[in-house]
Amino acid sequence: MSGPTGPAAPDCGRGRDGDSGRDRVWNAGLQPERTALSWRRTGLALLGGSLLLARVLAEVSVPLALTVGALGLLASIAILVAVERRYRSHHLRLTAAGGQRVTLAGGALPLLVAATTVVLGCVAAIAAILLSLRVS
Amino acid sequence: MSDTPRRFPAALFARGQEPDPRFTLANERTFLSWIGAALALIAAGVALEALGLGLTSGLRIAASMLLIAAGIATPVQAWLGWYCTELALREGRPLPAPFLVAPLALVVVAAGVLVALGVLLR
Repeated sequence: MSGPTGPAAPDCGRGRDGDSGRDRVWNAGLQPERTALSWRRTGLALLGGSLLLARVLAEVSVPLALTVGALGLLASIAILVAVERRYRSHHLRLTAAGGQRVTLAGGALPLLVAATTVVLGCVAAIAAILLSLRVS
Repeated sequence: MSDTPRRFPAALFARGQEPDPRFTLANERTFLSWIGAALALIAAGVALEALGLGLTSGLRIAASMLLIAAGIATPVQAWLGWYCTELALREGRPLPAPFLVAPLALVVVAAGVLVALGVLLR
């Protein structure tokens, strides 16, 4: 076993030169990071959900499945890109201000994600009705 | 603040003052949890129809429609909950309770009962 001066001792971000604060996390509870991961999880769930829905719809109508799949893919990628931009902007604003009365991003992306989920649900309802007609 | 960027919805951000950023971020994660619940409900409803599972067809369709309807209503709770909570944080008021919890629980129980009956009566 190697001691504390062993070759594999990680520096854990202590040795960054020109410490501007930007390379450090804003908050020890990693709040922006946990929020960003939660957003990313939701974006990936929307992506997976719309592709799964397209796969199920392919049993009924291939053109419909391709349309739903393509639209779901585009919307999910747009949301995932917006999520990364949102985290970057939050991190920069929070580390710059030291956490005092910071203006964070607003409700446009939440409303877009909620609306996308409602649309996905409506398409899912149509898919379920078409499937039930086919089975019986 | 003069350099405050315009944010949507303007009616919300015109009121009160900026809360602790940690509270705003926690409110966002609660919103995202509701969206996750909505996606799970929708997926369950579609899975019932896609897999069939040999359930009585009328009960299966009813359970599927109930789950998907709940999945369509849940994002409304997610958005209104986010809005009302953010407003309460800005104005320093007590946080609002989610309004769709009891109906949603009833719907999930009803869907479970329908699936159970569908299994028993097949």
